[in-house]
Formats: sequence, structure tokens, C-alpha cells
Amino acid sequence: MFSFIANFKKNANRKKLKDSAFEFLFEDDKSGEYVVFDTETTGLNPKVDEILSIGAVKIKDNKVLTSQTFEVFLQNEKEISSTSIKIHGIRPFDLKDAKTTKEGIVEFLNFIGSRPLIGYYLEFDVSMINRYTKPLLGITLPNKMIEVSEIYFDKTISLIPQGNIDLRFDTILRNCSIPNMGVHNAVNDAIMTAMIYLKLTKEKQ
Amino acid sequence: MSILDQRKLIESIHPFELLSSSAMDGLMKKIDIAYYPNQTLLVSPAISSIAFYIIIKGSVTEYIDDEIHNVYGAGDSFDADALIYGNTKAKFIVDEDLICYEIKKEDFLDLMQDKEIQGYFLQDFITRHKQLKDYDTQSELSPFLISKVSDIFLHTACIVEEDETIHSALLKQEKLKSKVILVKEKNGYSIVTDTDLRKKLLLGDNDLSKNISSIASKKIISIDINDFLFNALLMMTHNAIKRVVVVDGDKIVGVLEQLDLLSYFASHSHLVAVQIDKAQNIDDLKALGHDFKSLIVTLRAKGVKVRYITKLIATLNDKIYNKLFEMCVEPSLRDQCALIVMGSEGREEQTLKSDQDNALIIKNGVDIELFREPMMRLNGYLLELGFPKCSGNVMVSNEFWRKNSSAYKDLITTWTYDMSEESVKNMSIFLDAKCIAGDCSLLDELKEYLHNSFHSRDDVLAHIAKAVLSFETPLSLFSGFVLQKERKDKLDLKKGGIFALVHGIRTLSLQYEIKETNTVERIKELNNHGVIDKTFATELIESFDTLSSIRLKAMLEAKNIDEANYINPLSLEKNQRDLLKDSFKIINKFKKFMNFHFHLNMVV
Repeated sequence: MFSFIANFKKNANRKKLKDSAFEFLFEDDKSGEYVVFDTETTGLNPKVDEILSIGAVKIKDNKVLTSQTFEVFLQNEKEISSTSIKIHGIRPFDLKDAKTTKEGIVEFLNFIGSRPLIGYYLEFDVSMINRYTKPLLGITLPNKMIEVSEIYFDKTISLIPQGNIDLRFDTILRNCSIPNMGVHNAVNDAIMTAMIYLKLTKEKQ
Repeated sequence: MSILDQRKLIESIHPFELLSSSAMDGLMKKIDIAYYPNQTLLVSPAISSIAFYIIIKGSVTEYIDDEIHNVYGAGDSFDADALIYGNTKAKFIVDEDLICYEIKKEDFLDLMQDKEIQGYFLQDFITRHKQLKDYDTQSELSPFLISKVSDIFLHTACIVEEDETIHSALLKQEKLKSKVILVKEKNGYSIVTDTDLRKKLLLGDNDLSKNISSIASKKIISIDINDFLFNALLMMTHNAIKRVVVVDGDKIVGVLEQLDLLSYFASHSHLVAVQIDKAQNIDDLKALGHDFKSLIVTLRAKGVKVRYITKLIATLNDKIYNKLFEMCVEPSLRDQCALIVMGSEGREEQTLKSDQDNALIIKNGVDIELFREPMMRLNGYLLELGFPKCSGNVMVSNEFWRKNSSAYKDLITTWTYDMSEESVKNMSIFLDAKCIAGDCSLLDELKEYLHNSFHSRDDVLAHIAKAVLSFETPLSLFSGFVLQKERKDKLDLKKGGIFALVHGIRTLSLQYEIKETNTVERIKELNNHGVIDKTFATELIESFDTLSSIRLKAMLEAKNIDEANYINPLSLEKNQRDLLKDSFKIINKFKKFMNFHFHLNMVV
């Protein structure tokens, strides 16, 4: 029943696709890989804020394929708020050589293909991407989504049923004993999220 | 940006920093991060290795024949051999959830095209150890005290024939501006110093037309051109002389002056020695105490090998003992006995002041009671100077360690059949004995008696050797995981490593009747006797040096004496940790050797 609804939505989405060159986004994935991605933005509101950079890395089996990382910086009109600069460390100066949003988004779509997407508070990152794909291609990202904080919650709640579960990124990182790579940027965050995913799904019970 | 972070991490791991920037760029594109849960079998004789692993977090244990061979933790990498040779005897098992970088086999083998990288991974233990040590000193201070005699300015030697007149010899000396005249004789050289000239020419009844050989002194002290400057310093300090003759084979190549040597050394070890010599009373000696520690700290910071530091300290301590002996014992009694130091002091391996282990051998027929009061006083002075009391009461103040020669012989005889712990302990201490003052032939005689008594007594030797196996080598402590589990974050360097090595070598030395007391010297002698081969001997010496140097570090940092032998491996720099780990592997190898040599598995 649910898969029927999902399929229905997917098909409705597909019909809106304006550019047939992007049909591959809807095909079945045969690579067996996943893509973990993260965005750095000018702020936290998907309606008005813009993407500064996208970082992504593939996962296959038990490996984070850091040999195939993806990183792009995007130009944007909006001024970067000084509070967000403190978080992602991207200054207007760093975007001097950035790509146009169109180029960047197209490269990103080519990188992910129809692979399932993994992320931490993925919904936000996906809606940020959708903000660009809608006017560009008429569609939202059709890929399957996997939320690591959800997996973490499910695993932890079974241990402490009535517990209040701290879902902050750094807490999850610490509890999964994943080394903190220090600098927060899109690629690093994607790699750390990828490690959390592997730890949560591959760990022996 | 993130690629750069990983890059920094990889670059911080030796030998990857040797890669050129472009080779590094290439490598970074080939590295993946992998996750393996606990208990995963990564490599085994049946599962051939597919990648080179660099640990980001977690740990892996390597087993050979089901025995722990090595433990790898964060920053460690493995296993080049398995990749290069295509197979391995070892099993690598994850023992704490592993996150690691992986370089695929083909990519790793590509990397090996780089000569230096290849060199590093293909080297055997000794060269790798040396390279790591070099790397270590590079990053600190240059070890200029390890420089050789050939590195320093040498004065031209003024050599004259034995039948030359004093007058012509002096003219020659003046011309060459030499401080001494060396006289060539039929069998070797003799020397004429300013003192000789004053005593024998000006104050004696010689005149300038006599042969130079008539005023020469026989004693000539020489050092090989390839020897360390440090040894030259030791020689001068020990013999209270101002110059040594430098030889290359049997040819004299020059004279090394103390003044030049001292200006070469920034430290003031010689000054300390002179001050000891000049000390009039116990308070003068006490005032020197502080200089000792600062001397060790300076020398260590300069990268001097611990075995030279300990030798220097031993020489200085000898001087103190000598001085005290003179202060306490009447001149008439001095050659009626021999004052000996034992244990680490006898081996010349003590660094900071270690427990006093000393004894007195008295000539047969001399009244023992005559020595009671002087020895009590000597002991009191030592305590005053800060030499800690021996917990086992092995001190001249104890009657047991103050007896005549024949009583010692009786004691030695008991050691050959009495296997009590006490006896083994006493004998071990006595085996390291070194004579410091008085009539040293007394000790030589006892040592010979000891060696004869144990001749062909392999059964007793095996019993003594067994102690080598009494403490486990703490290899497993290297993983943070095990440390946590055992609620202990430090390992005992003495029990875990140094004791096994020192005691094992000591027992072997007894078996082969080797007179040396210093562990390094004993190892060299054992090699000369063909008991161990050259490679193994060098491995043992390097390991001993590493362990002692890390122990010295622990001692200098320790707040109290109990902490002095403990070290937290995680507090060491990565290179030091690797060296320590390698050393423990050699200790394990040595234990196996001892086990086999004395058939220890058959000793109950």
C-alpha cells in the first residue's frame, strides 16, 4: 500500500520533468551504492536561504569511498549572515571561483544518480536542493531517503525505552565513537555521517 | 578542504611524509575509509590481504600461532609484508570496532615504486629502528654528543725516537707547539708531560743531554679515532688526565686536548668530576647534588644515548664512592679490603640515584670489626648525599655484606645448591658487582670462584634463568581498549621488559663466565662467544637502549619514586610508541630464546 503511494508520487513527479536528459534520476539503481550528502547554507529557512556548498561521498558495502568525494561551491545573491559564517567558515571571498547554481546542481545530480540518499536531518538538505531543481527541472529529488538520526533513535530507544534521546550530531558522533574530524564543512560532515551510518548498520549486535 | 584534513593525517604517519606533493595528490584519490565491526578477521593465511590499512580509530591484534604478536592502534598501519609477499603467517583480527583508511593492494604496490617508501617497508628490524630513532632525534635536537673523535680538532703529536736527547726532543716539541712528547720505543710508546719535566728534569738529577726515554712515563692512554668523543671524556674523567692520544689502528694520529673537548661539550660533566675530587668534606659533596640532575637533563635533551649518560653518571658516582671511602677508611686499612657496588650501579646502568647496593670484602685474617665503624659512617654519608636506602638491606652497614673473603666463598657455595628466592636474589645482585675502591683483586678472586662453582651447573642456571619468564611482556597494553578494560593506563617498563633482558643476559654471562657487568658489554661478549648472532645482539642492544631511554624519561617526569618505572604508552609520541612496541617484540623473542636455551619448559 505504502509502496503504491510512493510509486504514485514518484510517477507524478516524473511527469513534471522538463528535461529528458535527467530521466536517469528515476531509473532503478544498479550500483549498490549510497550517497551521503550535506549542504552548507546561508541560513536555516529553505524558503529564503541559499546553498553555499554541497559535499557528498559514496558508500559501498562497508566502505566510505572517500576516493570519490564530491564538493562544489555555489554562487548566490543573498549575503551570507555573519552567524552562519562562524559555523561553516565560508566567507564571501571563498566563493570567488564558485560555480553558477545551475552548473553545481547539475554536477550534483550526475554524482548521485538514482542512488539512495543518506543524511543527518536530510529533509532540510533535500528541500534546499529542491529549491533549485523545481525551477530548473520541474521536479523534486525522487531518490530514496535514509535518515541516520532515525536509525540512531530506533537503536537507542530499544535500550532505554522511556529515555529522552539526545539527537545532536556531536552526541551521536561521540556515542558511535566516530572521530570528530574537527572542521565542519559539507564534505567532512558527509564523511562523518557516512561513518555513523556504517557503524549503525554494520555493527554486530 | 576535507581532503586536506585527511592529507594531514596521512602525512603525519611515517613514512608517508616522504612522498612528494604530487605523489600525495595521487594517493589521496585512492584512499577509502572502511568500517569493520569487532572480531572481523581481516587477513589470515587463508584470506589474502587486499589492502593496506591505516587505523583512524579502533584496534587490531596480530596473532602468530595463536600468540599475540602485535597490537595496532590509532595511527598505526599494517601489513606491508602481507601485501608485498602475497601471503602471511599472521592473523589480523579487529578487537575494537575499526575505522580505517584503506589503500588497495595495487595502489599500495604502486606506492612502493618510491625508493624511500620501499626502503622503509622492506627493511629489517634494526635498520627500521635506527631510521625511526634518527627521525626522532631530527625532530628534537641534533645529537652532537654522538660525534666521533675524528670530528674534532686534534693536535699534531710530537713523536721522537727513544735515543734522542732531552734537548732535541724539547726543541721539536717547541716547534710543533705540542703539549706533550711521545717517545717511540721498541714495544710501544711512552709519554713525557710537563709534570715529568718538572719532577724528573728540574727537580731530578737529569740533564738535557740524557736520552728522552729516561724521563718518560710508561702510562699512555689512547683512544681510537672512530670512537665516540663521549668515551674520550669518560676516559679523561676516569683517569684524571688532561689529554688522550688518538690512534688509528696502531698509528698515532694526534692528541686530543681536554680543553678542546670541553669547549665541544656545553655541559659541565668534567667540572662536576673535578669538584668531587676537590671536595674536602661531606658538605662539599652535598652541594653538587643538584648539578647531577641538571647534567642528565641537558645530556638527554642533546640526544645522547642513555647508555652513555648512565656510564658518565656511573663514573661520577664512582668518584663519590672513592672520596667517601677515603674520608671514612684509615689509609692503613684501605688495601685490606675492597669496596664493591652491585646491582644497577655495578652494571653502570643507574641513571638518577638508585638504591645503594654495596658491600665490603675484607682480606682473610684481618679483623672484621675494624671496619664496622668506618662502614657505618660511609653508609650514613651516602644516605646524606641522597643515595636511597636499599630495601633489601644490601649495604655495607649490614654485617651480612661486610665479611671476609672466605666467608663470601662459603656464601657462594650455598648459592650453588640452595635454590631459595633469597639466594637467587643475592646472587643476582652479586653477579653485577664492580670494585670501586681498595684492593680490587679481592673481588676478581671471588668472581673467579663464582664462575668455577657454576661451571657445568646448567640445572641451577636454568632455575635462575626462570625468573626471566615471571612477568608477561605488556604488548597487549598498547591498545587503548585493553588499557580501559584493565582499568590501568600504564605499563611497567622494568618488570615488563628491562628485568627480563638484564636478568637473562646476566644468567647467560654466568654460564659463559663473562666478566663484564654492563648489559650492553655482556651482550657484545655473548656475541663474541657465539651464543647469540650479531643481528640478534644488535637487536637486543637497540631494544635495551630504547627501553632505558623511555624509562629515563619516565623517571625524570615521575613525581615520586613509585611512578618511576611506569609509562602510559599513549602519552608517548607515535614514533616512540612504535620503538617501544618493537623493543617488546624483541624481548619476547629473547624470552623464547632463553626458554629454548635453558629448556625452561622442563624446569618446575
